[in-house]
Amino acid sequence: MKKLVSKLGLVALALVLVMTLFTGCQQAEEKKELVIFSWADYVPSDIIDEFEEQYGVTVTYNYFTNPDEALQKLASVDGGEYDIVINSDYTIDIARKEGLLMELDKSKIPNYEKLNPAYLSQFYDPDNLYTVPYVPGTPLIIYDPSKVDIEITGYNSLWDESLKDSIVLLDYDRVMIGLVLKSMGYSLNETDPDILAQAEEKLLALKPNVRALNMDTPYETMLSGEATVGLMFGSQVAWVYGERPDFKVVYPEEGMGFGIDCAFIPKNAPHPDVAHEFLNFICDPEISARISMNENVMAINCNLESEPYLSEEYLSNPALFIPTEMLGEKEFIEDIGAEASEMYAEIWNRFKQA
Amino acid sequence: MEKKRHISLSVWPLYIWTVLFVALPLVYVVVISFLQRGDTWGVTDQVTIDNYVKMVDPMYGSIFLETLAMAVLTTALTFLFGYPFAYYVCKLPARLRGVMILLLMAPFWINSLCRLNGWMILLKSNGVINSLLLNLGIIDEPLKLLYNFGAVVVGMVYALAPFMILSCYNSIEKMDWSVVEAARDLGASAWKAFVTVTLPLTMPGVVAGCVLVFVPSMGLFFISDLMGGAKTVLIGNLIRTELTAARNWPFGAALSMVMLLATVGIIWVYKRVSGSKSLGDLM
Amino acid sequence: MSQLYIWVVLAVMYLPMLVVVAYSFNSSRYSNWEGFSLQWYEELFNNSAIVDTLNNSLMLAFFSCALAILLGTMGAVGMAKSRFRTQGLLENVSLIPMMLPEIILGMAYLALFSLCRVPFSMITLIIAHTTFCIPYVFVSVQSRLVGLDPAYVEAARDLGASQTRAFYDITLPLIAPAVLNGALLAFAMSMDDVVISFFVAGTNSQTLPVQVYSMLKSGVTPEINALCTLMLVAVFLAIGLFGLGRALFKRASRG
Repeated sequence: MKKLVSKLGLVALALVLVMTLFTGCQQAEEKKELVIFSWADYVPSDIIDEFEEQYGVTVTYNYFTNPDEALQKLASVDGGEYDIVINSDYTIDIARKEGLLMELDKSKIPNYEKLNPAYLSQFYDPDNLYTVPYVPGTPLIIYDPSKVDIEITGYNSLWDESLKDSIVLLDYDRVMIGLVLKSMGYSLNETDPDILAQAEEKLLALKPNVRALNMDTPYETMLSGEATVGLMFGSQVAWVYGERPDFKVVYPEEGMGFGIDCAFIPKNAPHPDVAHEFLNFICDPEISARISMNENVMAINCNLESEPYLSEEYLSNPALFIPTEMLGEKEFIEDIGAEASEMYAEIWNRFKQA
Repeated sequence: MEKKRHISLSVWPLYIWTVLFVALPLVYVVVISFLQRGDTWGVTDQVTIDNYVKMVDPMYGSIFLETLAMAVLTTALTFLFGYPFAYYVCKLPARLRGVMILLLMAPFWINSLCRLNGWMILLKSNGVINSLLLNLGIIDEPLKLLYNFGAVVVGMVYALAPFMILSCYNSIEKMDWSVVEAARDLGASAWKAFVTVTLPLTMPGVVAGCVLVFVPSMGLFFISDLMGGAKTVLIGNLIRTELTAARNWPFGAALSMVMLLATVGIIWVYKRVSGSKSLGDLM
Repeated sequence: MSQLYIWVVLAVMYLPMLVVVAYSFNSSRYSNWEGFSLQWYEELFNNSAIVDTLNNSLMLAFFSCALAILLGTMGAVGMAKSRFRTQGLLENVSLIPMMLPEIILGMAYLALFSLCRVPFSMITLIIAHTTFCIPYVFVSVQSRLVGLDPAYVEAARDLGASQTRAFYDITLPLIAPAVLNGALLAFAMSMDDVVISFFVAGTNSQTLPVQVYSMLKSGVTPEINALCTLMLVAVFLAIGLFGLGRALFKRASRG
């Protein structure tokens, strides 16, 4: 009996020791607070440090892994608990319709004027009442010309027989089916069942060429040489290109899909004033440039006055600095309602299962 | 001795906990699975059995079958590799056994994503195994080891092996070795003694390990996503997609219920086969 | 021969971990081995968030394991002595958390906690983790009890030991290995849970696995490799301390 108690005691002791090893010195301070809710490292830590220092704020960063899960959590706390949320555009559209967003007080965000109007007034916020665009992105194609025999010009090139078992695609029904629709000349947000059936047929024909589907880390699939062609989000393409400038980036000739991750303040945010300060802070041209260039973000910059702060390397990366005339054709993935979403999900399941 | 109906005091905490935190959520899931989906998400108050009817679609049938095949294969392989390990560990002196089990479990206290990442570094085109083979001149072109059925199986077996090993170990360690010795004394070969004595005696542990591996292998979605290139849809993946991207809570709940019922069915068969009264023999 | 097999299996178990340890010293971010570097450790130590979430995770695993051991062991021991109508049902229902997909359990908790206006915090996390940890302890202890001869306890009772006394002196030492086995699995499950933790965590109680999965979006794997290396070292340190402590204790109690 004694033996057992001492054994358990030893286990506890060992655990406590290990725990204290990792425990830094935490001090409770009377400071202004801000709670951010987004993907890990999506707001670079040096930017957060600077904000904390300049405004005397303590930032708590909360992580999510999946935009839809984040939306559900936000809804279940009735738009409270978090001060700043950065999430994908379509989830913001739903959050807006559910009344989870707080209207921004633009007088507290003087830097708002410096934002590029090309990224404003989008479907999720037509009157620019709620959101600040954070990271715009467009799915692009990138490929290794030394291993691919054909010249890839757009989505339709992906069906070429020489690309057997060599493409990595995003594991995301709306983007992938949307791009198939686009390659057939339809809208990304098509809901007609007949047209979707045609798209499914075309999508299934692509399956033999697919090496892997990957939503979060397709860049690794490319860089490890598993796949020689990749269709992925702009920032992911930018990472691949940053490592392998000999790869070729393609602006698909059929036109581009588009998405913007935005920052917003939830309806019942506990610290709305600090949240406004934060939004103004990230709209500052220099800060904005630093965020866009950060190695964990790597995205198109949407600030009109940021260009002087952008590096040569950034400006020469074709996935980051896209000619404006190419963006003229951009189309957004929008909320298409329950029924159509269901059809997309089923098509995607059948495609994966094929 | 005649036993009267009574509840020991020490059961109450577990009883209350189970009602509050297991039964209640379960009721919630059951209820949701019989409601109509809401417009954006959630549910309406319309009662329906559509969510179950929908599963008759052959696509879901094939997903169920593939999940089942994967689970059976994983279970068989963990047994083939796990049982001998547990057996040999039990042959060690008592003080070494605990150390071996701790050594086995140590990697499993560390993030599974990290361990999977290790496998991916090993298997990828320019990974450790391929580089090694290329440098030795055994192959000219990197082998495609990742993003196929086999890679998913490797990931599954790796992730679930401890469950099989621990439950076999529990059973073998309890076993009375003198029975095996008696069989040997009577002239049985080592193999024959193992098959006719040891294996039957430790069967509860084996079957228990099978259930413990089989059940989670249907729900581990991230292994097929990361190691299989998301080209294999398992029930776990399907449920996750329905609950998140498709925002169809009722269908996700209905799928979960069917999966739960299938699991309970398997355990029921196990109890029938093994003649065991309690689930306690699971480990 | 049998020893060899044990070492081969252990080698395979540790193979991916060794690769992770090696790559935590890789100077390149994405590609293959390019040279030795400590930069990922440097970045890791500068990342105060990881320290916080790791701390939360360890605390969470510790408390939920402790609670699960308490509830699971008491439950299993009590069940062996009880006969009641709902016994079979209770047994089966208490094992359900093992069989339901995490995400549906997570969403059910999300809905129920917010319905009852329970604020998300470390408490809700501990409740959820305890719930899915209990079955591992319960099942393990129960199987040990099945093979246990009730005569021991009865003898102790006949000799005048109180019920509690008999439990501590007789039953507990006999089932201790099973408690430990169950706790080992429970601890591993708690340290690895992403989905349920995400749904029930409060703003100040983020856990490590959620953070690590969330990092995938920006692809910071080398830093995670460094973290796993340190955790592996810590686990071995704990095992070593445990073994050392046990040896010292044995020597002391002998001499």
